[in-house]
Amino acid sequence: MTASAASEPMAAPSGGEPAVRLEGVSRWYGNVVAVNEISFDLEAGVTGLLGPNGAGKSTLLHLMAGFLAPSAGSVKVRGRAAFGDPAIYHDIGLVPEREAVYPFLSGREFVEANARLQGVPDPRAATARAIEQVDLVDAQDRSLGTYSKGMRQRAKVAAALVHDPRVLLLDEPFNGMDPRQRIHTMTLLRELAAQGRTILFSSHILEEVERVADRILVVIAGRLAASGDFRAIRRLMTDRPHTFTVRSSDDRALASVLLGEPAVTGVTLDDGLLVVRAADFGAFSRAVARDARTAGISLFEVQPTDESLESVFSYLVRG
Amino acid sequence: MNRVVASITLRQLLSRRRTLLLVLLGALLLVVALVRRLSGMSDGTDTSFTADLLDHLGIAVVMPLVALLFGTGALGAELEEGTAIYLLAKPVSRLNIALTKYLVALGCSLLLSCVPILLAAFLSGGQDVAGVALGFTVAAAIGAAVYCTIFLALSLVTSRAFIFGLAYVLVWESFLAGLLPGIRTLSVREQTLALAKAIGDIPDSIFKADLAVGTAAVAAALIAVAAMVIVARRIRRIEITGETA
Repeated sequence: MTASAASEPMAAPSGGEPAVRLEGVSRWYGNVVAVNEISFDLEAGVTGLLGPNGAGKSTLLHLMAGFLAPSAGSVKVRGRAAFGDPAIYHDIGLVPEREAVYPFLSGREFVEANARLQGVPDPRAATARAIEQVDLVDAQDRSLGTYSKGMRQRAKVAAALVHDPRVLLLDEPFNGMDPRQRIHTMTLLRELAAQGRTILFSSHILEEVERVADRILVVIAGRLAASGDFRAIRRLMTDRPHTFTVRSSDDRALASVLLGEPAVTGVTLDDGLLVVRAADFGAFSRAVARDARTAGISLFEVQPTDESLESVFSYLVRG
Repeated sequence: MNRVVASITLRQLLSRRRTLLLVLLGALLLVVALVRRLSGMSDGTDTSFTADLLDHLGIAVVMPLVALLFGTGALGAELEEGTAIYLLAKPVSRLNIALTKYLVALGCSLLLSCVPILLAAFLSGGQDVAGVALGFTVAAAIGAAVYCTIFLALSLVTSRAFIFGLAYVLVWESFLAGLLPGIRTLSVREQTLALAKAIGDIPDSIFKADLAVGTAAVAAALIAVAAMVIVARRIRRIEITGETA
């Protein structure tokens, strides 16, 4: 499945330019098309950027970060062309995927250097705040060369946050973090989004995206395959029946009733587990409650089994 | 000049292991000069030995190699390693970043090439060595400035700047410029020697240069300006790609 699965556009700009806008953006390297005719807007909230390896995620992020010029189309950050305008970096905080840092700088020196380069009025206070945000206070005076991968990632996140940017672009930000650091950083991103910041992060771990992102962008072979809330995207995939597991006081009776529903395309009872396939998510949701009530059956659980981001991503990528 | 960029660049350049090799290279110049003095080979009047030492080891080897490592390492190495992204993703003009890095590379080059040349001149000694010391030291500073622009520009054009730079120094400067008089004008080494002779007012009996000082000065200026134009153009247009497309 490709562009046909594209769902509703990202949140509409709340007056004026969106935080990030891509219009008809293509980028090619010689004969290789890395990004092909992509358009979307990013507004406040967390957006997850997904795609198989080599799909064009990093190219997209680098286009938005002003490190690549689009071969066609335009990339704007808060209304300004991203490439060739250093002033956009007042608004952008960037966590690159590459691990390289300055090994001779301490974590504090690194973050403070970023604050000073951003022209932050009180770089020391901003540094202390950012380091606290990423929970790196205890290690702040150690050189980055001695940091674990997860600690370096947090230092990079602190450096990206130190000037309090409106837009955060993060390329695989959770790489190398242990579960506790991961949860801490996810919570931090959620808090920043709640404060109105626009956050885009790429990840190849769907569970991370599912936990943090309000919306997703799925890039496949350089094209935008889908964007929006992944559950909404799933519901738009009408060519793929939705699967539910149902537990009730009488699964067998409920199964026979549901077979008469137009929205239901199949029912199986496997090892006492009632599995229902439905063409229309909304119609089935209404029908199952109504039919159970009419038949005097108590419903204990109706669980969609392929509404996870993993299922959606799998459908989009494998077609 | 951006202080933060300068500070990071300085620490980065001085923290590399290669820098130790450059210190040793400068020390080698001093050791040769010292051995010359202590061995009694110098009768106190042979200034031409000092000039030859500064020419063949100072200007031909120490100065270009020091400038090569610092010139290519200041920005090109950062782009290769990926740390440049932290500087380029800031509201600081790219030209400012490049010029700052150039000045730091030049400062380091002056420290590790001009200072040893100056000290070696006096250690080796000779009659009226002050003129030789002054001429070679000031000319080495000018030569280092030209080399640094060349190598900085090269590092923005190719990821193999060090290899190409080394080939330029070894093949063009040391070999071809010696073989083919026509291309000496474009040799930074020959320009530096002509400037050293003129600045130090060194007589022919002590040291001869193959280029006229006017030709050398104009050629050096043109090369430096051309290289700086390349730096200015490339740094504005340079793109950074991710690890995966």
